[in-house]
Amino acid sequence: MSKYRVQDGALVDGGPLTYNDDVVRKFTIAAVIWAIVAFSVGVYIATELCWPSFNLGLPWTNFGRLRPVHTSAAIFAFGGSTLIGTAFYVVQRTCRARLWGPPALANFVFWGYQFFIVMAALSYVMGFSKSREYAEPEWHLDIWLTIIWVTFAVIYVGTLVKRREPHIYVANWFYLAFILTIAVLHVVNNLTLPVSWFGSKSYSLFSGVQDALVQWWYGHNAVGFFLTAGFLGMMYYFIPKAANRPIYSYRLSIVHFWSLIFIYIWAGPHHLLWTALPDWTQTLGMVFSIMLWMPSWGGMINGLMTLSGAWDKLRTDPGLRFSVTAVGFYGMATFEGPVMSIRNVNALSHYTDWGIGHVHSGSLGWVAFISFGAIYYLVPKLWNRDGLYSVRLASWHYWIATLGIVVYIVAMWVAGITEGLMWRAYDSHGFLQYSFIESVVAVHPFMVMRLIGGLLFLTGGLLMAYNLARTIAGTKPLIPGLAAAWPVLGAAPAGE
Amino acid sequence: MRLSHAILEKNAFLLLIGTLVTVAVGGIVEIVPLFTIETTVEHVAGVRPYSPLELRGRDIYVREGCYLCHSQQIRTLRDEVERYGHYSIAAESMYDHPFQWGSKRIGPDLARVGGKYSNDWQYAHLKNAQQLVPESLMPHYAFLADTKLSTNDIVERMRTLRAVGVPYTDDQLAHAKQDLLTQADPGADPKALLARYPKANVVPGHGRPTELDALVAYLQVLGTMVNFADPATERRLAQ
Amino acid sequence: MGTGLGDGVVGVFVGLLGLGGLALGLGARDGEMFVFGFSLAAFSALFVRGLIRQRALLTGRVAEEAAAKTETAAHV
Repeated sequence: MSKYRVQDGALVDGGPLTYNDDVVRKFTIAAVIWAIVAFSVGVYIATELCWPSFNLGLPWTNFGRLRPVHTSAAIFAFGGSTLIGTAFYVVQRTCRARLWGPPALANFVFWGYQFFIVMAALSYVMGFSKSREYAEPEWHLDIWLTIIWVTFAVIYVGTLVKRREPHIYVANWFYLAFILTIAVLHVVNNLTLPVSWFGSKSYSLFSGVQDALVQWWYGHNAVGFFLTAGFLGMMYYFIPKAANRPIYSYRLSIVHFWSLIFIYIWAGPHHLLWTALPDWTQTLGMVFSIMLWMPSWGGMINGLMTLSGAWDKLRTDPGLRFSVTAVGFYGMATFEGPVMSIRNVNALSHYTDWGIGHVHSGSLGWVAFISFGAIYYLVPKLWNRDGLYSVRLASWHYWIATLGIVVYIVAMWVAGITEGLMWRAYDSHGFLQYSFIESVVAVHPFMVMRLIGGLLFLTGGLLMAYNLARTIAGTKPLIPGLAAAWPVLGAAPAGE
Repeated sequence: MRLSHAILEKNAFLLLIGTLVTVAVGGIVEIVPLFTIETTVEHVAGVRPYSPLELRGRDIYVREGCYLCHSQQIRTLRDEVERYGHYSIAAESMYDHPFQWGSKRIGPDLARVGGKYSNDWQYAHLKNAQQLVPESLMPHYAFLADTKLSTNDIVERMRTLRAVGVPYTDDQLAHAKQDLLTQADPGADPKALLARYPKANVVPGHGRPTELDALVAYLQVLGTMVNFADPATERRLAQ
Repeated sequence: MGTGLGDGVVGVFVGLLGLGGLALGLGARDGEMFVFGFSLAAFSALFVRGLIRQRALLTGRVAEEAAAKTETAAHV
């Protein structure tokens, strides 16, 4: 009866290809939920930085324990779920092959990854942290994540290997670089020795200056490979798809890919300028950070120019509008980054809120927006709906979130430069003009402004969640005829 | 270019290996020499492993995420040196597993906070910062004063650190528990403690030390180990 | 069925991880390891249970469809 024929979990000729979209749907839902969590915790800790009584005096609500919850929820929970979900979606389509391995393996990646996120968040509020930024979970959680990540990599590479397309599509290069490099970074940065095999506390294998560079080699490349390469993979698939245009330049993608992944790795030391790190390392880090501007903009141009001839779609497709604005913010953040890596600029900007602003123009403007674009594209497709529940609501999301970002980063620019200038200001007698606390007082209005920016962004996120929930709930009718092809359980269609 | 790249595009394993090699170069060139070049960490006198109580205090500093608001790295800039003291040198954090240099100053740098304030000030400030500095954004850490410090695995902690390179001696391990209690007891004779851990600051604990006692002991040693007034230190740094 | 075997292997693997979690939870020396260990055991149990239930559902559907086919054939 059935037109599908499954063999070893893969489809052979004799019917239309079906993909494992069940796991993609799960990751998509998770991404939306975690986005709301990440933005909410962000708003809450922003409130703590305006009025410290919001810390409540409880151990588990203090800023120091909640900040890792915010960063992990944003990067790994929201960003990670979007990345893994879209990687599974893209690799199947561009390889014309079902995901490698039994369906339970992909399911294990999903549930295991969610388990990691919940456990990590719980461990932070309970007071367990390695204190490595963006890699705070203790050793046992690191090992768990390694297991999940290797499984993810095996499924991904396995699918590439069994592809039925002669070429590996460019989006997959970026996803592959993201998966492999994150594995290497994760393992090396988290080398610690536990105090006891039945206890959570561990001490880093490295110390002092070496530890600092290992951590920022990791930290910067978490940005470079988790928050950039992976999301560039998204850009290279979803923008051409939504615009219905081929990639602007194939040659540029090749140059973009290899130069980006080669140069990014060197840039870590720009987090440690003017410190006890040897000068030669600082200089290398600075030089490569500035060079990084070129491949970054090469990628931006490739993304934006793909739209030539299809710019009109921006008016009608809010998802595409998110993606394209994301590329714009990517261009801005990847220009700002090299500027901040120049030693003399860094002398002013480092340790201030300018850094926080820079991170958020990347994470809100680029990472979150390109994810929103992909999610708005995916949900109607994955749930077989005739489009979004409300395009107008998505449009509102776009404008509210954009306004939120602008408010946020302007506040942080002003706050950061104010701090930097006040810390180095001298009075007419040659003494430091301001005490530290005076700079804290001076930036208070901008902390409140940042909070408003964050609230706007959260509001946009809530609109999206509502819009997608209604889309999934199926207020719009299914496309007739396709309903029959809808695989129950999402796994291998029954009745082979 | 197109011709050669097609080979990588058509073979997942070649693409995988090419990617791994490409991303490995930068890390290897920058990180490996830090372990091999002799001058990376200065040979100055005074830096010692943390005393047991300071170590526990440091664990609490890490646990509470203090590094998220306070750096421990004074940069080689005129205003920083005037505000916080001598710029930080690599040797000062060579026993820090992990390092606590930080990346953001929501509060001031703490690299040389040791001895800058009295013990009493530190206790009061940690419990309720706004009482001393009304505009401060710091959370209250009064709960640390109500939490007894767990001390039963102190030797294991020190042994673990020794395994990763901190030169704790057998003598220091053997007296760990005793040293820990002595440092939180103003009534005890600190002579043996100070012989093993010079410049250790005795804090006013009462019987069993609390987590706050440990944290203050740690804060009070920060940046005090190296004597920058010593001409020998200066000579070492000039090298 | 190939997929069934593959799912079984994954199930056994996750089950073993769960046993590891149980051991960690039982021997735990701090609150975090206690929570992690037992949560991992619970995770593994739920995951394996889900696999078994899904398997049963699939097998049931295959049987149903086969029965339906036979019926159709009989009518022809």
